[in-house]
Amino acid sequence: MFPSSTQLKFWTYSGTAELNRLRIEANQQFVQKYGREYNEVSRNEFFLNTAEETKIRRHYEYVLKEFCNGFQPTMPRYVLGTAMMYLKRFYLHNSVMNFHPEDIVYTCVYLACKVEEFNVSILQFVANVKSKREEMAEMILSQELLLMHELHYHLTVHGPLRPLEGLFIDIKTRCPDVLETEQLRRGAEDFIDRSFHTDACLIFAPSQIALAALLSCSSKFGLNLDSYVANKLVVSSDKEDMMKMVENIKRINLILKTTETLDRGQVKELLAEAGAMSQPGEQPQE
Amino acid sequence: MEDVCCPRCKTTRYRNPALKLMVNVCGHALCENCMDLLFVRGSGACPECGIALRRSNFRTQMFEDSGVEKEVDIRKRILREYNKKEEDFGSLRKYNDYLEKVETIIFNLTNGIDVEHTKKLVEQNKKDNQELIKKNRMKLSHDEELIEALLEEEKQNQSQNRLQAQREEEWERRQKRKQKEALIDDLMFLDMPADRIVQSHRQEVTSMGGRKDHPDGMPPAPPPPITRFSTGITLHHGQQHGFIPVPKQEVGEMYQYQPLVLTQLGPDVPNDECLITNNYVARVRPATTQEEAGGYRAVFACHRSLQDAFCGLFFASADLLQVTSMATGQSTAQTSSGHSSMDIG
Repeated sequence: MFPSSTQLKFWTYSGTAELNRLRIEANQQFVQKYGREYNEVSRNEFFLNTAEETKIRRHYEYVLKEFCNGFQPTMPRYVLGTAMMYLKRFYLHNSVMNFHPEDIVYTCVYLACKVEEFNVSILQFVANVKSKREEMAEMILSQELLLMHELHYHLTVHGPLRPLEGLFIDIKTRCPDVLETEQLRRGAEDFIDRSFHTDACLIFAPSQIALAALLSCSSKFGLNLDSYVANKLVVSSDKEDMMKMVENIKRINLILKTTETLDRGQVKELLAEAGAMSQPGEQPQE
Repeated sequence: MEDVCCPRCKTTRYRNPALKLMVNVCGHALCENCMDLLFVRGSGACPECGIALRRSNFRTQMFEDSGVEKEVDIRKRILREYNKKEEDFGSLRKYNDYLEKVETIIFNLTNGIDVEHTKKLVEQNKKDNQELIKKNRMKLSHDEELIEALLEEEKQNQSQNRLQAQREEEWERRQKRKQKEALIDDLMFLDMPADRIVQSHRQEVTSMGGRKDHPDGMPPAPPPPITRFSTGITLHHGQQHGFIPVPKQEVGEMYQYQPLVLTQLGPDVPNDECLITNNYVARVRPATTQEEAGGYRAVFACHRSLQDAFCGLFFASADLLQVTSMATGQSTAQTSSGHSSMDIG
């Protein structure tokens, strides 16, 4: 249950501001640790700043998603959600410059497969990687413990997909007059997919994201689920509770709208730059 | 040497080398044959003093003097009953007095002084201290314990030494064989004259023998014997005085059951029964026969999905709470006019 989970206790933050602060801290920590011999100007030139880090991190979120979507055997969607959550949590307290996201992405997916009981062996797993399979297997296995450590072993992730399913069950049962519920599924899942690329899962409850997804796509279909929400779902609840919910759903929509799409060409340049920096020996590993 | 002689049939050891004298509580000897003859029925009188004896009480005579034999016998019997230990007395003085008393009783019985009174005394003691006697019989005294421990240690040392000797012997044998093989190898493959090779080998052997005390390649000495458990308690009971006192257990406060309170942070989830009667279950995949055999029911999945959907819906982080509490004033006015404020999406 989400209200009693470690996700709520340790990994849910008040908002984008707090997340940004944590990321800046992680970046600063790295720069201060390894940038002593540089002066102010060259330090800013040499190291990535938080904005650049964010771009790289987001780029790798897409890499993760593409990897999961192309995975053979077909991977359930919640594994993607869990892996994405691991990636986000990991880079909240670590800098992209310290651990290369390329490695962490695959380790996250591998760990998520295990936690979500999508059973693949490491050989099966690396068969989905294009090259250097054996090295990749070794790398994943060696990074796995590090990743778990950085996640403080809070491995259970409550994603928005099951809540969405629950909402569908509820609507079908209590509002049989809403006919095309199944049509909403696609749109809602798209919404959740998009939410994976934002910080929504670090700020809101998974059920709130699911409800936001449902409501947003129902309005696109011209269906009005407001009466369901008001008269069935939260009918016997406090006004104040309801206000919180409404407020949060608005904020989710806002975050999804304001998160601009990533210019991946720009990221390629950045990566090339970062790659030049992370020569062997230059890139410190803890 | 005075020849040993049976008082009844007058057989001597000279005439019957297998002569075996037996003795009973009265201290008068009898040869084995006479005993068999006289005590066919299991009991009878002593041919010398006429006291009633039992056959089962006969023992082989160990001392030539029958008086000593009698004393040993009596001492054994008395000590079985007068078996108090030093710990049973308050002071050493009292214990020594007790030992003195025991000696007197034994002396009286052996030499026939005041027998009736002494016997009564023994009876009385037996009656009074029945419990203690029984208990002490099971216990080993400190001295006995010490002796036992010493014996044990000696035994261990012996086996240790034997092992060590075996190892040394084994090593020596191997060394010798190695030398022999080396010699043969050298004789086969070296170009030197044979006698020189033999000589150099002999030198080597003698030099090896010289430093026999510290041979390299010697197997390491076996580990010292284990004298304590892994917990640190010594193994030998000789050094251990009684039991370790049981650590006092701190009695904490009584456990009080407090029912688990789950915060839902959302609307209530219908219970399983309600899920079935209201046909929620029809919306999820029904369980297959195999799954049902394993204990799975479709209602579980249904309940979990609904629970996940409902809980956390009213979740709000601390920052948001402040924002909403400011906003509630304005928005309640809106919500009161129906639920039209749900313009989300």
